[in-house]
This record gives sequence, structure tokens and C-alpha cells, in this order.
Amino acid sequence: MLLEIKNLTKRFGGLTAVSKVDLSVRQGEVRGIIGPNGSGKSTLFNLISGVYRPDPGASIAFDGKDITNLEAHEIARRGVARTFQLLRIFSGMSVIENLLIGHHGHIRYGAASAVVGSRRAWAEERRVRQEMMELLSFIGLADYADMPAGEMSGGQQRLLALGRAMAARPKLLLLDEPAAGLSPINVDVLLDTVLALKNRFGLTVIIIEHILKVVMETCEAVSVLDHGEKIAEGSPAQIRDDRLVIEAYLGKEMKDEEVRAFLRSA
Amino acid sequence: MTADIVKNTEQRAGGGASPSRRGSVHPIVPWIVAWACLLPLPFLLTNAYTQYVVNVICINVILAVGLNIVKGFAGQVTVGHMALAAIGAYSSAVLSTKLGLPFWGAMPAAMLVTGLAGAIVGVPSFRLEGAYLALATLGLAEAVRIIISGTDWLGASLGYAGIPPPYLAGIALDDYRSYYYLAMPLALLGLYFAFSILSSDIGRALKALREDPLAAAASGVNVRKYKVTAFVLSALYAGCAGSLQAHMAPGFIHPNSYTITEMITLLLMVVFGGIGHIWGGVIGAIAVTLIDDLTRDYLQYRMVMFGAVIVLTVMFMPSGIGGLIDDVLVRRRFKAIRRRRAGVASVVAADDV
Ligand SMILES: Nc1ncnc2c1ncn2[C@@H]1O[C@H](COP(=O)(O)OP(=O)(O)OP(=O)(O)O)[C@@H](O)[C@H]1O
Ligand SMILES: [Mg+2]
Repeated sequence: MLLEIKNLTKRFGGLTAVSKVDLSVRQGEVRGIIGPNGSGKSTLFNLISGVYRPDPGASIAFDGKDITNLEAHEIARRGVARTFQLLRIFSGMSVIENLLIGHHGHIRYGAASAVVGSRRAWAEERRVRQEMMELLSFIGLADYADMPAGEMSGGQQRLLALGRAMAARPKLLLLDEPAAGLSPINVDVLLDTVLALKNRFGLTVIIIEHILKVVMETCEAVSVLDHGEKIAEGSPAQIRDDRLVIEAYLGKEMKDEEVRAFLRSA
Repeated sequence: MTADIVKNTEQRAGGGASPSRRGSVHPIVPWIVAWACLLPLPFLLTNAYTQYVVNVICINVILAVGLNIVKGFAGQVTVGHMALAAIGAYSSAVLSTKLGLPFWGAMPAAMLVTGLAGAIVGVPSFRLEGAYLALATLGLAEAVRIIISGTDWLGASLGYAGIPPPYLAGIALDDYRSYYYLAMPLALLGLYFAFSILSSDIGRALKALREDPLAAAASGVNVRKYKVTAFVLSALYAGCAGSLQAHMAPGFIHPNSYTITEMITLLLMVVFGGIGHIWGGVIGAIAVTLIDDLTRDYLQYRMVMFGAVIVLTVMFMPSGIGGLIDDVLVRRRFKAIRRRRAGVASVVAADDV
């Protein structure tokens, strides 16, 4: 198992956002996480990536090593990259700088080299910029390398967020609603890009997604959260027929048209 | 579909390559040219006072560039920068008078001391942001000034006199003209270092801190390490500037040169010039030093005026002169690119959420 989570809990005051969740994800898998609004999906990502500290008693192992209480940057350095639901791209920096920050953990020259602008720093900068240009080409943003990221369209920013995460050359990629707000055509473009990246770099991916089509078409297995608890897990087809899942969704105000359509068909 | 996008963009990929560090000229070359051009300046200035003002500009450039690193690039709101300069000035003074170190030993040592102090000033930034951080650094800064004012062996409120001039190739730099040949190259060197830091991985990490510390951390940036780095780097600049102030004729420093008033003046340079724009900071340092000098007879109104300019700049020109320049150069370029590409851009490019 690449990721092995046991007994993960997170309380915010009186609210239990994530409750005793166990989750195992195989190397090379594409896992979907679904659940109604506020069911703890993003919190789960924040816990895995070290943005939040889990409550005592939890254990998170990644690649065979315990990462439960590591800081966010340490977890990132070990190969966990993520996107944020609200993107959080560095809008005042250029597109390629966003990627270069993603690649930060792989850039090797010392402070002294940086300060005096040594040949070594130069050569390394040239090398990593070239690498990032290749990645930009792959996600279709090469033209915009030097554009301030904040000036791009919403769709492009979503791609950039994905690119920044990929720039870290992660083993595990956490995508928090990567297709939210995209038009159906662009959802396809984004999914194709994710799958192409996965195949090219041998990634393991966990996707939080409300668009059920995405989950059904790309994920090998799906885990369902409700009120912070994992209420079901299985293949997309199994999940589709799970009574608990349907109730979880029915019990809530539904997020979008698609959920309703999905439930009618179920 | 992705394949199409990839194919499309790979053909165009060359166009977006990095703008900096292409070609074969070492980036220090322009600075050497600038240095050569600035060499004759003292001979164009007729009186010693003007020369003094030019030296002060050089020192203020160093201060402003340093403050820009921590405030403009790393986004840490500090008002402790002048106190760091005071630490630099007094360390350099003490090391050269009490220990007899020559300037060339005293200045680096003073920078080291200031760098350490900078790390301490930076610690509150782990937990505090914005106005709270400003208050914390203000407290530290005032403490430094009050301690100096109350310490007899630092001259207390009488000031510290008798600081020896630097010697360069056996010549004492004891008048304003000769001192220029120390202050000007150091200002240029400081600028060169600032530019290379900011185009490096360190500079990017600092900007990422300013933009979004959480996203930076999730990208593998050690936020605390880079916060301290920013404070230490800027403190090194402050230390260098302070040391230059101390050793310039008449070799006298006073705690009143490091009050909140001086800090506001320095802030004005950076804000007016453009937070996060090195050149803006330089323009700001020149402009504000000159204004500061021209209005020296109206001391009591000056702070009101400076305060008003800061507020107006923040309200109506939030990225200062540098921001205006950026707008003209950078934004135009991309608007043009976007127009040109509008027809052929990939599907996603045309999308909007
Ligand atoms: N930092 C926080 N402080 C307090 N409460 C929080 C915090 N972060 C999340 N919560 C709460 O935890 C619960 C789970 O939130 P979370 O963002 O994980 O839901 P989600 O499943 O991602 O929802 P959505 O589909 O809307 O993105 C919510 O009730 C939310 O209000
Ligand atoms: Mg969420």
C-alpha cells in the first residue's frame, strides 16, 4: 500500500469533521472520494498533506513510513502533492514560477550560489526551467509561461494548479474537485490530462469530485464519506447501488444537477 | 484531445522560454557598467553638502532594497528595519573603537550581528501576521532604541562619537567625496545581490510566502525557514547600511537617527517606489531622500506629509511607481499575446469558471 490511514479523526471544537476513517490506497490506483457537502473530504486531504494535524490516535503511513505528525512541507518533500479546492495558485507570480515553486524540493543550489548568482545556480535554473517548460507544454500552457498567473482564465488556472502539483514529481497526487466549474468539454480535457500524467509518471491519484461522471469513468475504486465517516467503499458500480450512499445524498441538499440525475438512474 | 493540445503547444513551446539569463553576458556586467558611469559623479557636484546627500541616497538605497526583500517579496510587515540599522551602526562603531577593528573587519562583523538580530525580529512572524507583526516588530525596535539611549558605554542620548573612517588602499575615506567611492559600489553590489536572490529559487520561495504560505508549504517550501531567511537577508542589508552611516564623516551616530520617524520615511521609499519592485525601491529612495532634504526646514509638517503620501499611494497606486512601470511593460505584452492567440488557443484557454 502506498497510503495507509488508520483511525483518522479531526475535530473542530464540537464538530467532528473526520471521524475514525481508515483508508488504504494501492500504488498506481486512481481512487475517488465522494460525499455530500461538508462531509469531510477536503479535511481528509488537509490531514494527509499536513495542513491540519490529526487528533491523537491516528496513523498515516506513506510509502511505508509514518508521516502522521510531519509538517506540510516535509510531507510534500516525500512525494505527496495536492491541489486545493479554491486553487490557491500564486496569482502574483508568473505561470512558470508557479511550477518552479511546485518543483522547489528538486532544485539544488545553495544560498551562497543564489546570492552571488554563480554559474552553478545559472545552469541549474536553466535546467529546471526547461523541465518546467516541458511540463507546461504537456498541460497546454506553454504559451503563457511568463504571464502573471492571476490573469489567466478560470479553466487555465485549474490546469495550472494541476501543473504545480505535478511539478513536484509526486508519487501521490491529491486532487480536490479538479473539475469544479468547468464546462463538460473541459472536464474531459482535464481528465485526459490527469490520466495522461498518471500513465506517464506512474502516479497514484486520489480525486475528490462532485461530478459523478468523473468518478465513474476514471476511478477504480470509490470511498464515500458522510458526516466525516467512511460509509462505503468499492468499485464505482458497487457504490452506485449502495443504499447508504443514496441515503447520504438524499438526506442532504444536493450539490448539482448531476447528483440528482445519478440518483434517478440508480 | 490531450494529444492535440500537447501537439499544438509543443510547436509553440519555444516562445515562452524564460526571459532572464539567456545569452552569454554575465549578469554582473551591467552593474560594472553602471559603476563606471557613476564614477565621475562627485566631480559634477560642486559642494560637499550635495555630495553628502548623494551618499545618504546610496545608504538609503541599501536600506530600501533590504526592506523590500522582507516586506515586498516575502510579504512580512515589519517596522523594525531602522532598529536593525541601529544595531549595525552601533556594532560597527563599538567594534572599531573599542576593539580597534578596521572598517573592513567591523562592517562584516556588524552585518553578522545584525543578521542574528534579524533572525530574532523574524521569530514573531511564525505566529503573527500583518498589523500584529508590525506591532511586535515595532516593540522590538523601540526596545533597541531605548536600550541604546540608556546605555552609557554606547553614548546614551549624547550619541556615539569618534568612529574612525574606513581606509581604502591606505587612503582615509574621511570626506564625503571619497566616501562616495565606498557607498556607491556597495549600493550597486547590494542591488546585484538582490536581483540574483530574487531570480533564484530562494526569491521565488519568498514570493510564494507572500502570495500564499499554505500553498507554499504544500509545495514543499519550509515556510518558517524562508521567513527567517527573509528577515536575515534584509537585516544584512540594514547592517551594512548602518555600518556605512557610522563610519561616514564625522563618525558620529545618535539614537535619534533610528526612531519611528526614520522608519516611516524608509517605508515611504519602499511603498512609493513600489512594494516588491527593486527598481521602484531605488527610485523611492532617491526621491524621498531628496524631498526629505529639501523639506528639512519644515520638520514638523514633514511626517504629516509623508504619512499622507503613504496613505494616498496605498489607496490609489498600491503597487507604487514600480507597479506602474510593470503595468505598462508586462501587462501590455500579455494583453497583446492574448488577443493574438484568442482565435487559436486551446479549448481550456477559452474557458471561464
Ligand atoms: N478550519 C476549520 N475550522 C472549523 N471547521 C472546519 C474547518 N475546516 C473544515 N471545517 C468543517 O468541517 C466540515 C467538513 O468540511 P470539509 O471542507 O472537509 O467538507 P467537504 O467534504 O470538502 O465539503 P465540500 O464538498 O463543500 O467541499 C465542515 O462542516 C466544515 O465547516
Ligand atoms: Mg471540499
